[in-house]
Parts: sequence; structure tokens; C-alpha cells
Amino acid sequence: MTAIRALVPERSRSTRDRAERRLAARMTAPSLILMALVAAVPIGYAIWLSLNQYSLRQAGLSRFVGLGNYIDALAGPDWWRAFGQTFLFAACSVSLEMVLGTGMAMLLNLAFRGRAFLRTVVLVPYAIITVVSAITWQTMFDPTTGFVPQILAAFHLPGAGVVWLGEQGYALAVIVMADVWKTTPFAALIILAGLQAISQETYEAAELDGANRWETFLHVTLPLLRPAIVLAAIFRTLDALRIFDLPFVLTHGANGTQSMSMLAYGQLNENRLVGQGSALSILTFLTVMIVSAVYIRFGGGNIRDIAREDHR
Amino acid sequence: MDRPAFSNPSPAGPRGVRTRSTRRRGVAAALAAAGAISLALSGCGTSASPSAGPTAQAVDPASAKGASGSLSICGGRDSVGLYKGTVDAFMKANPGITAKYIVLGATTDDARTQAVQRLQAKSGECDLFLTDVTWTPEFASQGWLQDMTKVTDAVKGTLIPSTVATTQYKGKSWATPYYTNAGLLYYAKDKVAKPETWKQVYAEAAKAPGNGLVYQAKQYEGLTVNFLELLYSAGGDVIDGQGNVKIDSPETRKVLDFMASGVKNGSADRAVLTYEENSTRLAYESGKYGYERNWPNVYGQLNATPLKGTFGVAPLPSFDGSSKGSGVLGGWNLAISAFSSNPGAAVAFVNFESSPEWQKHVAMDYSQAPAGEAAYSDPEVLAKMPFAQELLVSVKGAKPRPVSPVYAQISEAINKNVHAVLAGDSSTEDAVKKMAEQIKAAQASF
Amino acid sequence: MSTLTALRPSAQRTGTSRATQPRREKGRLHPIVWVFAVLVMGFSLVPFYWLVSTSLKKGPSLGQGELFPSQPTLDNYLSVFGNGDFLLALRNSVIIAVVTTLVALVFASFAAYALARLKMRRKALVLTLVLSVTTFPAIAIAAPMFAIWREIGLYDTLLGLIIPKLTFALPLAIYTLTSFFRDIPRELEESAYVDGATPFQAFRRVILPLAIPGLATTAILVFISVWNEFLLAVTLTSSPAARPVPVAIAFFNGMSEFDVPLGRISAASVIVTIPLVVLVLICQKRIVAGMTAGAVKG
Repeated sequence: MTAIRALVPERSRSTRDRAERRLAARMTAPSLILMALVAAVPIGYAIWLSLNQYSLRQAGLSRFVGLGNYIDALAGPDWWRAFGQTFLFAACSVSLEMVLGTGMAMLLNLAFRGRAFLRTVVLVPYAIITVVSAITWQTMFDPTTGFVPQILAAFHLPGAGVVWLGEQGYALAVIVMADVWKTTPFAALIILAGLQAISQETYEAAELDGANRWETFLHVTLPLLRPAIVLAAIFRTLDALRIFDLPFVLTHGANGTQSMSMLAYGQLNENRLVGQGSALSILTFLTVMIVSAVYIRFGGGNIRDIAREDHR
Repeated sequence: MDRPAFSNPSPAGPRGVRTRSTRRRGVAAALAAAGAISLALSGCGTSASPSAGPTAQAVDPASAKGASGSLSICGGRDSVGLYKGTVDAFMKANPGITAKYIVLGATTDDARTQAVQRLQAKSGECDLFLTDVTWTPEFASQGWLQDMTKVTDAVKGTLIPSTVATTQYKGKSWATPYYTNAGLLYYAKDKVAKPETWKQVYAEAAKAPGNGLVYQAKQYEGLTVNFLELLYSAGGDVIDGQGNVKIDSPETRKVLDFMASGVKNGSADRAVLTYEENSTRLAYESGKYGYERNWPNVYGQLNATPLKGTFGVAPLPSFDGSSKGSGVLGGWNLAISAFSSNPGAAVAFVNFESSPEWQKHVAMDYSQAPAGEAAYSDPEVLAKMPFAQELLVSVKGAKPRPVSPVYAQISEAINKNVHAVLAGDSSTEDAVKKMAEQIKAAQASF
Repeated sequence: MSTLTALRPSAQRTGTSRATQPRREKGRLHPIVWVFAVLVMGFSLVPFYWLVSTSLKKGPSLGQGELFPSQPTLDNYLSVFGNGDFLLALRNSVIIAVVTTLVALVFASFAAYALARLKMRRKALVLTLVLSVTTFPAIAIAAPMFAIWREIGLYDTLLGLIIPKLTFALPLAIYTLTSFFRDIPRELEESAYVDGATPFQAFRRVILPLAIPGLATTAILVFISVWNEFLLAVTLTSSPAARPVPVAIAFFNGMSEFDVPLGRISAASVIVTIPLVVLVLICQKRIVAGMTAGAVKG
């Protein structure tokens, strides 16, 4: 590639660079302009709200408190409890989703009869409306009318006789399962697309080196899948850290399942503490952005490489 | 949250706040500029002029005469078709008015969020809001409603007094009752005794595995209601008329201990910790329980199951016979938006729905508990609702939930801590202390 | 230009040669793989089966916890199909999701190409801004959006839903496409450049055809996320004429304000997965079809 570039005369290269930058600007413009038009004002407004306190006694009465709402949130126990519970949930579900998603993608990449069917079947959970999937898991685990407790009891399995959604730990387990069920296909799909980009020759070379299947997977496939796995992990973590519907429907935040988004929602919509609620939303946002940055920085993959290219 | 907000009503705030803000003036100024732009754009900005408040304009009852034009009524999911039915009947009686019902949200919470969004934006989309009985103080204090005292007073005589009380705040009426609700106790006549006191119900429920009680103890509004029913029956209270916090009391401790030991000894299945109204109903329909606390609507649905004829309906009992039985009032009112451009038509609609004739239809055609008292003894209603007398006892004896503009926060403080006690994650003593603290903090945020 | 056109068949040939030599022989799987496949299917299907079984139950049998409905009925389906508001919502959802997905693919593939391939200033900043748009909690911006939308007349219209949904779906599309484009070997474009192609021609004739699996994957992900989005949908609409499926299902009436019509909600949810399954069936062939990219890279 450098060789090819060297063939092009110096002057025309700099002209081309300029043309390329212009093209880049033009190609990113539609997306960036749309985002600026639609998102900038509401986001700016939310930031403004978070710096004020609004009276519940009298509409229209507000006062600027600077970072007071943030300081209050960070000084109290509620934020940190939700923070810990959300991270525990995200760590459990995202790691399970990546492992299962990789396995699922490997499986779907094999050539066998019924592959098209399997590919469609595994995607069905992802297609189900989030609130409905939450209701489905709720009825499945209902202590009286759900089938899961009935089966556990009939076969004397562990967890029989437990009111799953009413118990610390168990409630989190149901939420993790429901989330893994619904979103593993998302990860699998992205990883599958990454898998398509690995050529047959790469495997053949590994086989020639005498690597067995497991070694090939570990030393050849996995490193090459890294960009796809990191990409899937970014978006899954981003969603998991903002989890709302599942705990909202299943436990309403009881039994150690209060998420950061639920806390923000409660203050913002239920309690109408607009300033505090906006501050909690923005804290959630900052947390997620920091985690994403850490992923991109240490996870590697294509996004990091691109972020490092800054053509001046 | 713990900072007593607005102890100083000046928008500039106390000095401490200013110092903090000057330190970050650069950033703040930039953000403020961005905020100002969006404020102007969005129109939901907050001006510092405290013009609104419970001194809002009053509706003239006479404006209903000859009202015309269009009318929008906004509220929750039209679950039994009552809202649409009322609108249709209303238009038939008032051909000059074009009315429509707009669904704002699926749940009470959603409906409130969407209503608040419209009111904050000073939107005239909705002339009338269906308001939950607990919203009156909040909406009224924000200057979102028109003073309906004269309209409500005109029909007061025909309505059950407890329902009218839910429309009151600071001596004025901000809404008119639409329909009401109160908890009932369903019991399996073949297995357990008729409820006399909560103590007897719990003792009876513990006798055999199939006798258990099911109620709503998931951490949400429903648990607040279920807890308050026992607390009120035991003579306890949350806040008094002056707003003093009364929750830290021997009655609260007694009721919490009682409910927690009920979950522990199986009087109430531990499953209740996950139950809302619908799951409670389905659980009882499975035939595995002796008692069910639920709303009147369950009656019709139970009658469609094999349990038809095996169950009885009773008003909620007293705690131990030493005090009166008391429920908690539910139901919905209709309130005129401060931003309505057609309050005359809104008054006409309110007059229509609160009339004794329509209140009878509320019970007869839609199986909802009417706010009008006469309907309960109407023979046609009794044919449809054989338990109407029990229901009337419940509604009349029911008390409102804590009357406060920060009710949502107070309710959260209650249901979170009660849930923790019932789940065994917190001691009664801790929970009582926390409830009192959090309710005081909620009042301070007001 | 001649090399450019000659290049595509060659790239495809490499792809075909790969497709004709599948890694495992058709039909024979390692027993462990079999077990895994069955477990994956079971885990995916059991909750879905429960949803289907719930959709066939009515009245008291909803509370019996039966895995196999003893008196299966199609009443819920009939009632859902007889619900004009739901059918309207289905139409709205299809329009919104299709338009949003197509526009998102066009916008995002442009931006992704610039990010993945072109010389550009402040790529890190652009990537951060893009990500922050999708990360910002929707609950915090719902209220201001409602006010603005009313002001400019987009409230309660299909266009008024397409625009914000497009905005919040774009970051996912841009990120996935950027990553996929990056995996396409540079050699192909370089030879196009030598041949005198402009960068945009290289994008259109080399990158896009090779990125079909990435585009198909992105289309599925964007379509589903737009299809299922609830908060913006409920905030920015007020009439059945603009309401999409998730909101219509949430507004199903029951026997009372406390009644959750489980049977009909389940039936409607099963019905609305059908368009998605069709979409996946169409797209998944594309995922397999365009495997040229990796073949060349090796």
C-alpha cells in the first residue's frame, strides 16, 4: 500500500488530501447536522435544568444552584447504591452475553442443514418488545401461576420454593437472565458479521501449524474477532448501564435491583424533582461515557484505531 | 435532597449558593447561555414571576350554558370504555360540543408524566384532565388547574362526602369526582370465616395452606395503599392536617410487625412481595388461597371462573375490633386545565358526568364505583353489583391518602421501607425511623 | 476504471471459492456442538413459547400456569386483528421503521466511510459526540422535545417520530458500519485509486458491495431498535393516527384500570414479531452472501 502511494506524485497527493478532507466533511455532515439539530437543544436544556432547583410549591420559581444537585447526589447513599447495583447487573449480563454471543455466532457460522432456521430462531427474543419480554419473564417466575417455580418444585431442583422476584440475589438473577435472553442475539449478530471477515486461509494456516480446534479458536479466531466483540460490548454495556424496563416491571427497584436510570426516572418523573433528576440523568450519562471510553481505550479494536487517527 | 429548599423564596437563593456558582462562572455562563436559547425555544421555561398558585382563576358555573366548540379530555388508558362511553353520551346530550378522549399513558404514572409535560409546556391540548385522587394538591399548587369550587359545590349534595374531600386543597375544590374506588376483601366461604378484624383474618389464614391471604406488596403505590389500609384501621396516620409527620408511632410499629410476621408465618404467602393487582387476582383465581385484598373490579372476573359462588365480599375490617375499619380512597376526578380555551364546555362535561343519571351508568354499564351516593341503592345497579352496599360502606369509611403536593415522594418513602420490612431486609424500628426522615425530607423539598 | 470493474468479479470469485468449501461438512456436527445448538435453541425458544402459549389462553386459564393451554383459543388474535387502532399502529410502525432504517443506512454509511477511510480532522471528537447522542438518557430529554415538537408542528405526526428515531439510531449504525468498513482490505481501494477513481467512487463501487453483510446486520439492528422504542413514541404522539405498535399494545384496554390483558398483549406481540422475522430471513441471506471482504484480506 505504501508502495502504491509512493507512485503518486507528491503534489497531486496533497491536492487529493485536501479533496479527501472536503469529502469527509461532506459525508459526515448529514449525520452531524441532524444530530445537532435534534439532540443539541434538548440535551443543553437538560444540562441547564440540572444546574437549577425548581419549586414544587409554586410553578415558575427556580433558583440557580450550580453543581449543588450533583454534589447532593454524590454525597447521598442512593446514587452509590444504584451505581453499585447497576454495575453488578451490567458486569454479569454483558460478560454472559459476550461469551454466549460468541458461541452463538460460531454456531451460526457453521454450515449445516437448518442454519437459516436457527439464525432466525435465535433472533426472535431480540425482536420482542422490551416491556412485553419483561412481562413474559414476570409471569414465568410468578410463584403461583408461573411455570418455572412449578417445574423446579416438581423435579426438586435448586431454587424451588423461592419467590424469585422477591428475594435479594434471585431477583437480580431473573433480571440478568431476561436481559441475556433478549440481547445475546444482538451480540451474536455483530460477532457473526465479524466472523465473516476472517478468511478460510487463516484457519488453514493455523491447521498447517498443527493447532487443534481449541488452540485455533483461542489464538486465531478470538484475536481477529476482537473488533467485533469490543463493538458489541460497547453497545451492550451502554444499554446495560442504563437498564430501566426490566427492573421497572419485574421488581420496581426492590431487592437490590435499583438501577441508575430508575433512580433518575423516579426523581424526574415520579417525584418531579426536575433539577435533581436531570443531574442524576447526566451523572448516568457521564458514567456510561467514561466506561465506553475505557472500553475503547483498553479493548482496542477498530474504533480505537480510528479515534487515534487525527489528520491535521 | 436534604437541603431545605426554598426556605428563602428569593430566586437568587442564599449566599452560600452564590459563592459556589461564582467559582464556576465560566462554565456556568456558557451553559446558561445554551440554556437560555433552549428555554426560549422550548417554551417550557420557568419565569421567576410567581403569578400562579392556588389563587388561580375560578370557573364560572354559568359558562356551561350554551357552551359549544371542541373539548379534549385527557387521561389514562380507557380500560373499561367508560371514558369513551361518557364522551359519546355527552355529545348526544350536547350536540353543540365536539368532545374527544385522548389516552396519555398506559399506567397512572405514565398518565401523570404526560399530563405534567403538557401542563409545564402550558399546552392547551387538553381542556380536562382525569386526575388521580392523590394529584389534586400537586396540580393545584402548581397553578395548573382552575378553581372549581362553585361547580363542585353545586353537585356536592348528591356525591359521597369522602370523594368530594379528594378534590379539596387549601379550602377550595380543584376538581369534581368522576368515579371512586375502595379496597374489598374477597374470601373463600367454604374455607375461611367472614372477615371481622385483620387479626382474625391473619389467624384464620395461617390455619391451613389453602387459607392464605394475597394482597399487593410489590414495592410500588399499591403497597402504600395496602399498608395504609391496615395503618388507618389501627388508628395510625402519616401526616396530620397541619402537615406534621405522625408516622413514627406505636401504631405504625404494631402494623409493620403484624404484617411482617404474617409473611413469615405464612398467613400471607411470601409471593405477595411480587404482587400487583393483576397478579393477585390471578393467584386467587388459582384456588390456592383463602383471602384476597383487591378492588371491586375483581368481582366480575372471579364470577367468570369456576370459583363463582364460592366466595364472599366484605368491606375491609378493623384492625382488632378496638377501632373502626377503614380503607383508602382510590378513584379519579376531572379537573379543568388552567390553559383550557373552552372551560365552558369543560364545565358542561363535568356537570354531565357527575349527574345522578350518569353516575348510575358508571356502575351499571361499566362496573365502576360511582361517586354519586344514590346509585348504590338503585335496584338496577344492585342487580349488576350485588355487593354495592358493602362497597358503599368501604367508600364512605375510606380515608384519603396523605394530602400533600409531594405525595409521590411520601408514598415512595412508605412503600420502599414497608417492603424492606416485609422482605426481612430491614427491622421495623429502622424502617419507621427512615420513613419519618424521608417524609420530612420530602416536605422540605416542597 | 477497467481494473476497478475487473476487480469485483475477482473478489467475488474468492468469496465463492470460500463458500464452496464450507469449514464443516454439511449435516455433520460435533456432538458437543449439537448439545450447544439445542441449548441455545431451548433458551431462545422457551420464553417465546410461553408468550405464544399465553396468547392462546383466555380468562381464568391465564392464571393456571399451564405450559400447554388446555383450552387453546384464537380469540386473542381475532380481537387484536379486529382492533382498528392496532392495525393503524402496525402500519405506522412499518412506515417509521422502514424509512428510518433506509435513511439511517445512507447517512451512516457516508459518515462511517469518512471515519473509517478518509483523512479527517478530529475523528476522536466526532466519535465521542456521536456516542454521546445515543448515550444521553431519553427520560431527560423527553419533556423538552415534546415542547419543541409542539412548537414546530411535528408533534403527533409520523415524520415527527422518524426524525428523532433516526437521530438516536444513527450512532449505532455509524459505529457498526465504521467498524465493518475498517475490516475491508485497503488494497482494493488503492487499486481503484491507481485506476483513477475518486474516493467517492471507491466508496460506491468497492466498499459498499463488499460491506453488504455489515449493512444487512446494521439494518436488522437499527430496524429492531426503532421498532421497539417506546419512550419517544409515547411522548411525541397523542392519536392512533401516529402511534406505533409498542404504544398501542400498552394502551390495550382490560377489565379495569388494574387489569393487564395478558392474552391480547401476548397475541399482539407474537403478531408483531412476524415482520421482524421476515426482515431477518431476507437479511440473513445477505450476511452469508457477501463474504468476499475477509477472503481477500487473508
